[in-house]
Amino acid sequence: MQHMAGDNFPNHAHRGGWVTDPGHRDRALGLRSRSRFAARSGPASDFRLTIPADPQNVALVRRLLECVGDTLGVPDGVVEDARLAVTEACTNVVRHAYEEGEGAIDVVVRPRAETLEVVISDEGRGMGPSPDTRGPGLGLPLISALADTVELRPGHDGGNRLAMTFPMGRA
Amino acid sequence: MSGGTAPTRVSIASGPLVGPVLRRVVGMVAARADLPLDRLDDAVLIADLIAARAPAHVAAETVDVELGSTPRTLNLRVGPLREGGGRALVVDAAVPGVGNVVEQLTDELSVETVDGEEYLCLRLAYDGAG
Repeated sequence: MQHMAGDNFPNHAHRGGWVTDPGHRDRALGLRSRSRFAARSGPASDFRLTIPADPQNVALVRRLLECVGDTLGVPDGVVEDARLAVTEACTNVVRHAYEEGEGAIDVVVRPRAETLEVVISDEGRGMGPSPDTRGPGLGLPLISALADTVELRPGHDGGNRLAMTFPMGRA
Repeated sequence: MSGGTAPTRVSIASGPLVGPVLRRVVGMVAARADLPLDRLDDAVLIADLIAARAPAHVAAETVDVELGSTPRTLNLRVGPLREGGGRALVVDAAVPGVGNVVEQLTDELSVETVDGEEYLCLRLAYDGAG
């Protein structure tokens, strides 16, 4: 999808006589360069995404974490751990949080110089045994193994809030 | 397992991630709206322009976009923006040699004010869609 868009723009640009190097589109549109400097982490790199709790949206969250890694220069190992843990967390929301209807997943990402913090929240049924749990229940232990810190507590409006941090030192 | 039709919302601090994050979110929602390839490309280009221009016009320090879709139609609502920011954002989206890309690529473009806050609303549709 992204490549399709990127591939198409230089065709327009070429007709206008512009140089068609890979960074051309971003510069023409005034976007900032994508150099890899971890120093760009901080509050200016925070974002929050609220999406329907659909299985297909888990992939979007994974892609956005890749995007954080690519843009800010987060080490690959940190991105991989975060992707796996966040996949587990979001899948839990999709499978268990909203048994009686639709709902949302709220994802907050806070890249910092020392850590990558990700918070996954929902407004679903909250903690407790799930009637449709048939798996081995490895989700939270896996998240705990991958993240440096994990905090699971009830959300402000019901549901759960799972906060995870991943140390940037992991290569 | 649940499904959902709640809108997708993204709030990105005005910084290096505005473009990369918004581009991916818009691209994915547009793809799920079953927009044909050329309109999907248009949607991503508009996302890039919003990412580039909106930080100068937002009311706070984040670029906020709400995304909704129906078959072959994508709706974007950008804001809250500063007073006059909706129109200014569109004007700023002119690309040298191309013209105003946002105006050219959207099917509907409007500025609405809700509770004193200004929003830029954009609609992209496939020509065959109603």
